[in-house]
Parts: sequence; structure tokens; C-alpha cells
Amino acid sequence: MSMSISRRSMAAGVLTSAAILFNVVVADPAAAARPKNLNTSLDRLTDQGVFRISIQSQAQPIRLWRVHQWTVRVTDGQGEPVSGAQLAIDGGMPQHRHGLPTAPRAEPAAAPGDYVISGMKFSMPGWWELKLGVTAPDGRADRITFNVVL
Amino acid sequence: MTARRIAASAAFIGVLAAGAAASRPVWSSAERETLRSLWLGAAEAPPADPTNRYADNPAAAALGQSLFSDTRLSANGEVSCASCHQSDHGFTDTLPTGQGVGTGNRRTMPVTPAVYSPWQFWDGRADSLWAQALGPVENPAEHGFTRTEVVRVIAAYYREPYEALFGPLPDLSDEARFPLRAAPGGDDAAKAAWARMSTEDQTAVNRAYVNFGKSIAAFERTLTVQPTRFDAYVAGVLGKGPYVSLSSDEIAGLRLFMGKGQCANCHNGPMLSNHGFANTGVPARPDLPADVGRSAGVRAALADPFNCKGAYSDAPKACDELEFAVVGSHEQVRAYKVPSLRGAAQRAPYMHAGQFASLEEVIDHYSRAPQAPDGESEIRPANFTLKERRQIVAFLHTLDDGRAPHEQ
Repeated sequence: MSMSISRRSMAAGVLTSAAILFNVVVADPAAAARPKNLNTSLDRLTDQGVFRISIQSQAQPIRLWRVHQWTVRVTDGQGEPVSGAQLAIDGGMPQHRHGLPTAPRAEPAAAPGDYVISGMKFSMPGWWELKLGVTAPDGRADRITFNVVL
Repeated sequence: MTARRIAASAAFIGVLAAGAAASRPVWSSAERETLRSLWLGAAEAPPADPTNRYADNPAAAALGQSLFSDTRLSANGEVSCASCHQSDHGFTDTLPTGQGVGTGNRRTMPVTPAVYSPWQFWDGRADSLWAQALGPVENPAEHGFTRTEVVRVIAAYYREPYEALFGPLPDLSDEARFPLRAAPGGDDAAKAAWARMSTEDQTAVNRAYVNFGKSIAAFERTLTVQPTRFDAYVAGVLGKGPYVSLSSDEIAGLRLFMGKGQCANCHNGPMLSNHGFANTGVPARPDLPADVGRSAGVRAALADPFNCKGAYSDAPKACDELEFAVVGSHEQVRAYKVPSLRGAAQRAPYMHAGQFASLEEVIDHYSRAPQAPDGESEIRPANFTLKERRQIVAFLHTLDDGRAPHEQ
């Protein structure tokens, strides 16, 4: 009995070592921290379902180091455009513990519910989070985290 | 018989070729993409500088080249830009910190890759090459000079090329209006002299001083980054040139650079720099004043009258980097410029104040990833073996600049 336990723990030890080794050997060790099935949709409901937000880079493809703009469309539960909202932008690379290299700002665009985020920049390939906080003029507020993989 | 011999030789050559091909490293498509991203052959032309309308003017570059190595532009007549930015050392020197009329607090940076960067200096306190060039001239530890002195040197020795480009120099003959030594940031006497000048006269001096900086920037923009053995290797891998082999250590080092070491995360793109700033826990030098890096640098850039949005910029509306600069982030404490690694193996010592004497010390630092003296280090220990350290050094030497006389 004790023999089989020690064998089992040995086996577990080997497995652990193998896991550590694997972490060291893979091309991008930090990739292990990237969630599987990362939702990279850029057209989604906010966390509490208050708004639907669709975002798109005006630069295609997105090039590293270039300051560029994104277009944002905010609609509510009825699909009505939400104009006059305040948009707060944040983000960064969760795997590398740093934020965005710039401080982007959003301004209303011509069409109702449309906004333009200026000052976006990415400085590394990989998984970026783009976090939007939205506060409508009537006080409804919600947030969302988009995932952008470069 | 002859035919059989030929066939046998052909078969033998075939085996040799197959053997050579088999020994070539195999790269996945993702790795090939990373290799391509680091390759100078894929680099775009340096970004234009609309804030300097003379940026690509050959006459301005020629004037700038002369000014770059003119020691008359210093308090003791012995210091020029070229004193620290030595052309045979990748436009840097071999000292921990710059040595001008005094000893500076920061390692001299190489000039050539700077044209690709939106921010200059280790802390990015200047947002253009021309704004950068104006800093060291008035730094008491570097040129120890003042802008009124600069304009007088130009009037005495460079009047013709200057006026052909920029129009008439201000007349500084009235020393009551234009003191010999006057600068807003010089020693106390120079500051007091500057404060006594009229705003109009200050502006006239500033304009000429800025044109001096723009000429130097135009010269710096003519310095091109040259392809290295690494670029020749990648060209071969991508089928864009003949195959050039690297040693097994160099290849292993390249794999570590892109993989386990995660070096290529920040040292990305054809300059092997993301032109950003990072706190990597580099130790503070106890003999130097407190230094918070980018935290202070971004504020200095925003306050600089010579920045992109200032009165001396030729494109004050095209200032995205300054307009959207991060200010006041904890991440900026002791964050310093991610330097280009092109030619890095040839320019010890390393880091913003020459803290590490050798590449081995640099790699040991990344292997251990100690806590930052202030702020928070972004890196985690890479735990390199001795063999891996040797391999990374070997790889970094594939980025050596072939023009330097002391290498290889």
C-alpha cells in the first residue's frame, strides 16, 4: 500500500517536472496564461447587458507602434443609438503586467451613437485588453473588456 | 563508365546537399513571422518629421554634420556632440555615463536608431530629434554652453550656410540686449541674463537655436541602420537571399531570444525595440541623484517649449504621441527607453546609467529579475543556464554593426 502511494507521488512528481519543463520549452511561455477560447468578438453586450458595443480599428491591418483611431458604436437594449455618452478607455497586456502605451480618448462622431477613439497604439504583438466604461446621459452605466490579439 | 561516374558524383552531391539542408534549423510559421518582423529587410523608411521642415534637406544635413563635431559649441572648447556620440562606436562611447565638460547621469545613447523613435533620451523627455539636440548643449555636465553662445558661433563660422537655409541671423552685437551667456536653464548667471532679455529677443535667439537643432536632426536622419549577419540569415530563411548559416549557438540564442527569454516581446520590430519604456528592475546607482525615469521624462516633454505642439514646431497639429502621452502612471516610475539591440553587443557598458559592464551581466540581470529599487519591474526571472547565457550573447553578436572597426 505504502509502496503504491510512493509510486503515485513519484508519478505525480514526474508529471510536475514535465509540466515545468514544458513551460520552459514552449515558444511563448506566457501564452499559458492566455485563456482558452478567448472571446475576440468586437461586437458584444456590455458586462451587465446594458449596452451593445461594436468597435473597429480604422487602421487595417493594425500596425505596431502606430497611433491610430477606432470607431465605436453604442446602442441600448432596444437597439437605439446612445448619443452623448462618456467613454472611458483603459487596457493593457495582462500577461506582461503593463497598460496601454498611450492614453486614448473618445469623442462623439457624426452619426448618433457613434464615437471615435483617438490615440490608440499597440507596442507589442500578443493579447491586449481594451476596456471601455460607458456612462449614458441618463445615468445608465456599464463596462466591457474586448480582447484584441495582434 | 563516365556516365556512371557522373551519376555517382551527382548522387554524392545530392547526399551532401540533403545533409546541408537537413542541418538547417526548422522554424514554424509563427517563428518565421517573428523573424520577418525583426528583419531589417522588412523595415519601413524612418517616419517623416513634419515638425522639422528641414528634416530631409541635404543642405541642412550638411550644416548639421559640421555642427555635430564642432567643439567650439562648448564651454571649454573641447566638447562636441561627437565627443560622446562617436561614429566609430555606433555613435556612443565606452563610458558608464557621458563625459562632457563634466560627468553626466546617463549612458550616451546611440544615434542611428533614434530616427525611428517618437521619444528621445532614456526618459523620453524630448519628442523629436531636433528637440533632443538642444538639450545636451545647455546641460552643465555636457556642452555647458548657452543658446546665445551657440548663435554667436553660428554667426561667426556658419553664417552663409545658415542664412541660405533659414534667412538672416539675429544681430547679437548689442551685448546689453543679447548677453554673451544667456539660457533659461543654464547656471544662475546665465539664467539671470536670460531673464533680463525681452521676450522678442528671446524668441529671436530661440528661433536660431531651434534651427541649429533642426540642422543636427537633418544630419542624424542621414545615418542609416545597416543590415547585419542576422538580417542576411533571415533573408535566406525567407527565401529573399542566398542562405547564410549561423552557428548552432547563435541559432539557439535566437530561439531563446524569441522564446524562453521573451526578449522579443519588447525588443521587437526591425530595430529590436518597441520604442517604449519599461521598468526592468535595473539597480539605482547610489552615487547618482534620484532618478524616476519616464515618470519625470513625460512631464518634461509636455512642458518643453521645443516640443511638437510648441511655437517652434513646423507641425503643431500633428502631435499624436504628445497629445495622447500617458502621464502619472505608476508603471512609469523608473521606466526607461527600450533600446535598440542593433550593435548592442559592441557598446558596453549597459543600461541607462551604465550599471552593467558586460552583456553577461545584463543577461544575469534578466535571469534573476530582482525587485526594482522603485516602482515595479515588469520582468520575471528567466533562469538561464550558463549555456543559454553564452548562446544569447552569441546571438546578439549577429546584430553587430560591420562598420565598427573593433568588432569580430
